[in-house]
Amino acid sequence: MRKRLLWTAGGFAFAGLSGLASADGWNMPVGVTDVSREIHSLHMIIFWICVVIGVVVFGAMFYSLFRYRRSQGAEASNFHEHTTVEVIWTVIPLLILVGMAVPATATLKSMYDTTEADLDVMVTGQQWRWRYEYLGEDVAFTSNLATSREQIAGEAAKGEDYLLEVDEPLVLPAGRKVRLLLTSDDVIHSWWVPDLAVKQDAVPGFVNENWVRINEPGIYRGQCAELCGRDHAFMPVVVQAVEPERFDAWLAQRKEAAAQEALGVDRDWSLEALMERGERVYGTICASCHQPDGSGSPPAFPALAGNQALLDERDRHIDTVVNGVSGTAMPAFRSTLNPVEIAAVITYERNAWGNDTGDAVQPSTIADEWLAD
Amino acid sequence: MWQIIKSVLAAFFGVQKEARRREDFEKGRAAPFIIVGVLMAIVLVILVVLVATLAAG
Repeated sequence: MRKRLLWTAGGFAFAGLSGLASADGWNMPVGVTDVSREIHSLHMIIFWICVVIGVVVFGAMFYSLFRYRRSQGAEASNFHEHTTVEVIWTVIPLLILVGMAVPATATLKSMYDTTEADLDVMVTGQQWRWRYEYLGEDVAFTSNLATSREQIAGEAAKGEDYLLEVDEPLVLPAGRKVRLLLTSDDVIHSWWVPDLAVKQDAVPGFVNENWVRINEPGIYRGQCAELCGRDHAFMPVVVQAVEPERFDAWLAQRKEAAAQEALGVDRDWSLEALMERGERVYGTICASCHQPDGSGSPPAFPALAGNQALLDERDRHIDTVVNGVSGTAMPAFRSTLNPVEIAAVITYERNAWGNDTGDAVQPSTIADEWLAD
Repeated sequence: MWQIIKSVLAAFFGVQKEARRREDFEKGRAAPFIIVGVLMAIVLVILVVLVATLAAG
């Protein structure tokens, strides 16, 4: 009876453990790159080494406790040194550690080999979004949280990808080696995508390197993994890996769109067009601090609606958005937003929520007078 | 001399016979042990660097 109980318990334990290798949410993912597979198998090898050590050590201990218990008349043997035993328990861990170090070093070597990349992408952390720049391709954009405020406030049901969805994912070609250059504009962030086995700090003033070659097209989600301030939980990473041909087409289309946007700087915009564009920019960039209705969260984030000082001084308003306010949470947007976006959002702020200056700030004004240097 | 090297190796490894330890402390002087210890630490560092270079190459 007792034996059967033991076998049943053992069977359950084994089934549970072997399920670990694939169990979602319990174990690290196998991932979709060669490196992530290597890391996963390393992790499993070391896990099983730990299991064997645990079973042997605790098995020997519990066996001794039980077999040589005092009620059975066991006598403790008293000796001080036993060189052979001491050598054995020093050599065995040494061999185990060296045995783990050899495959681990091989994996580390391939993780750090960022040479011969087909594509370079600059990843910049900003409070609280990621900016992606395809180096040498004139394509750059910011990737903002797309989960609605209603979901976050608990006023709507949470979607499937709650807090793990963005307006524009990082699009990468499957099968090509992509070098990631990571840095930050403000504080330390960390770009983490478990399926790609990449978790790399983005540190202001430094450029860290990493690389991925994604084997399977698909959407891979991650988060910022370094506490970076109030909206740390609201700057997810979404990577969309597509077939190389589709990637080339996408990149060409993005280049075309960037060229069109550059042309837009020189033409005259109507107030309505600026307002419409500005509302979108405000919603993704400004609303998280200054609130969708412009009421702000004083004193850290001043109200924009009915802010007379702001409305009276147009140049100060532009300066604040372009260059930020040092010593406060207001960042400079001169490199994050293009002239059209800056002009549109300022126009929007000066004419929304009962603000009625009638000012239409032209993109050409921003480009020529504020971003010329 | 060979005895000193063996004792220093045992110290690096972390296991030494009580009888040898007693002998070293009773008969030996400290200076040779310290000098051999420093030299062998340098040898160890060189060995580690060699292995790392080999692994990286």
